[in-house]
Amino acid sequence: MRIDLVLRYVGMVMLFIAAFMLVSVGISYASGVDSAFYPLLLSALLTALLGAFPQIFVEKKGHLSTKEGFAVVVGSWLVACIVGMFPYLIWGGEFNLINAWFESVSGFTTTGATILNDIEALPRGLLFWRMSSTWIGGMGVVMFALVILPSMGRSKMTLSNVELSTLAKENFNYRTQVIVRILLVVYLGLTLLSLVSLKMAGMNWFDSLCHAMSAVSTSGFSTKNLSIAFYNSPAIETILILTMAISGIHFGLIYATVTGKRNNVFRSEVTRYYVGMLLVMSLLIAISLYGADLYSTFSTSFRHAVFQVVSVTTTSGFATADTNLWTPFAVVILIVGSMVCASAGSTTGGLKINRLILAVKMMKARLLQQRHPNAVIRVRLDGMIQEHDMLHSVMVFIVAYVVLILIGALIGTMWGLDLTTAFTGSVACMGNIGPGFGEVGSMDNFASMPTVIKGVDSLLMLFGRLEIFGLIQLFFMKWWK
Amino acid sequence: MQKRVTVGFLSIVCLLFISGMLSFVELSRLSRDTGDILKASRRNIELAKEILDAAHELNVSLIHSSVFGDRAQDSVARRSMVRLETVWLTAQEEALDKSFLDSLAFAATEMKILVDGYLATPLPQPATVDTLVVVEPVVADQLTVDPMQAVVVEEKPENWYTDQFESVYSRLTTAVKAYMTSTQSSLAPRTEQLKKNAYRAVTPVLISLVVMIAIVLMLYYFMMIYCVKPMLRMNKSLGDYLTFKIPFSVKSELKDEVLELKEKIDTLIGQVRKSKL
Repeated sequence: MRIDLVLRYVGMVMLFIAAFMLVSVGISYASGVDSAFYPLLLSALLTALLGAFPQIFVEKKGHLSTKEGFAVVVGSWLVACIVGMFPYLIWGGEFNLINAWFESVSGFTTTGATILNDIEALPRGLLFWRMSSTWIGGMGVVMFALVILPSMGRSKMTLSNVELSTLAKENFNYRTQVIVRILLVVYLGLTLLSLVSLKMAGMNWFDSLCHAMSAVSTSGFSTKNLSIAFYNSPAIETILILTMAISGIHFGLIYATVTGKRNNVFRSEVTRYYVGMLLVMSLLIAISLYGADLYSTFSTSFRHAVFQVVSVTTTSGFATADTNLWTPFAVVILIVGSMVCASAGSTTGGLKINRLILAVKMMKARLLQQRHPNAVIRVRLDGMIQEHDMLHSVMVFIVAYVVLILIGALIGTMWGLDLTTAFTGSVACMGNIGPGFGEVGSMDNFASMPTVIKGVDSLLMLFGRLEIFGLIQLFFMKWWK
Repeated sequence: MQKRVTVGFLSIVCLLFISGMLSFVELSRLSRDTGDILKASRRNIELAKEILDAAHELNVSLIHSSVFGDRAQDSVARRSMVRLETVWLTAQEEALDKSFLDSLAFAATEMKILVDGYLATPLPQPATVDTLVVVEPVVADQLTVDPMQAVVVEEKPENWYTDQFESVYSRLTTAVKAYMTSTQSSLAPRTEQLKKNAYRAVTPVLISLVVMIAIVLMLYYFMMIYCVKPMLRMNKSLGDYLTFKIPFSVKSELKDEVLELKEKIDTLIGQVRKSKL
């Protein structure tokens, strides 16, 4: 492992983050040099220095190996979370060491969980930095490094293997440089579209920008304490539902659809299941809410149900209602949605619907195999035969995912949390969703959680974002040799 | 390599300088905040002492005047009353927390009305309304001494002292004491804020130091792999060549002084071989 080369690329990511901190400094300056100006400026300087240092010593050389690619991605994410804490720590307020770490990890992993009781007390510069971290995280810190590093050649694919779900690249039939361009075009395009739409729907420019960044990265950070419920606007909710739902679709398919390619969203089996699942869940919850007389009309029930289902399933975590007050049936559906999540190859986290479809198909194949022991049964997804290794890794991932959630819930209950809070908190952090139920409901936050739980939850967020094994590898010394 | 090392060390020096400047700026701010709070506290105590002194002087002069009948002390009482008013006005302007001044304002106004009424004898006149200059309407409503009824001593002045003045005086001193203790207790949240400020003052410096440690570690690592290790490899390879005649061969990744040295050793070995042939 060429650690010097890894440091060089991680340094480039740091420089990119420093640039975003400088943009936040600009926002702070434009807002009349608010209290975040000095913390952001100092953080930008320190991050830039940290990132520039390896550039001085390490020369560009060769391509990255798979191991080095993994190290760059995982290292970038960890270092990004550390430098992302600087503005919060220097600014002070509600941010102590663990709170700043939690907020930074939550941002870069696009989880959107917060420890802030009063988000509106934050100065604009810091609010924008919060959104920037989530926007950078949404696309993947490393993808940005790839865009600014056109000289890396073949190594681009090595890096994107880790960042994107391993399933995602199956649908890409483009060269790696094109993949980067596709992701960037889709990401920027969706952000701009969402920004303009939200502005037209009545938000101010700053809030529109922040919510657009948050929705496209499917993080769910808001500039308001009441999240989207603050606006109580069907137009804003509709725009955000569309933005979140589109952000939950494979970016390659979105690009293919927009450019008129044959392999588009309408022909995708995964997308069909994804959209179908959203509709069925929304309808079931709406019926349940209307039946329980929680809302006066069915349309209001459906409006809130659709928003929450899309928000949770795309791992965003925006809220228009206090879901703690909803019926147990609706809550269970939302928990299922938060575990299944959206498509691979999008900015969403979680288990991914692709894996669930494959798991169900494997079960079906197993049953068939028992009935016809000599039959050769293939599992297909989107018309493509899935290799045994792939199916095996899917099952291993699902097991690891569930085990980590259970460990998180176990630690939570050990530290005195009730079962609902501990379990749904773990699910929400592991799936990079944000809010759960109980004490960490859609209208609550993680401020009251014990320090240990904040630490465990932030680790779960990292595990979820790095698809579990990326982070686990880091702890094995042999891997570094 | 020389340039890289220079830039590396300059970065560390810059960071040290930034850390130092940050420490200086943050500690100056902390020191200024602490100084302001201590200064305000000291001034509050000074003002309370002056009010008490003036009230005491007024009390003594009125004892002489009313109990012992020495009306020559009236001028001292007037002077003391003016002094009391002046200090009171200063306290109003300079008070750190004005909410504690209400009870003192009430007691001081009551005292002024009563004393003005007394000093108006031997021509007993009702106290005029213009004596209520500093009395706010709400305060005036609550006064136990009615300005229109504040006619001084009708028969025995010593009775006026014991019946009226003593209780008002007692209320004033109690209010001053309350003012002193309350301003001191108001310092508690401010000192708590100071504790937070101290934490905030140290945080940027600590972060700078953490970044500096990371940079020093990186510098150590880069020096080891780009400078020390190639040197050791060259030393070993040269030793092997001199002892066992194993060809001198060292890989160098960077185009720097280490590579130049390696190339010069190669040239030297080549020249030695030629001269032997």
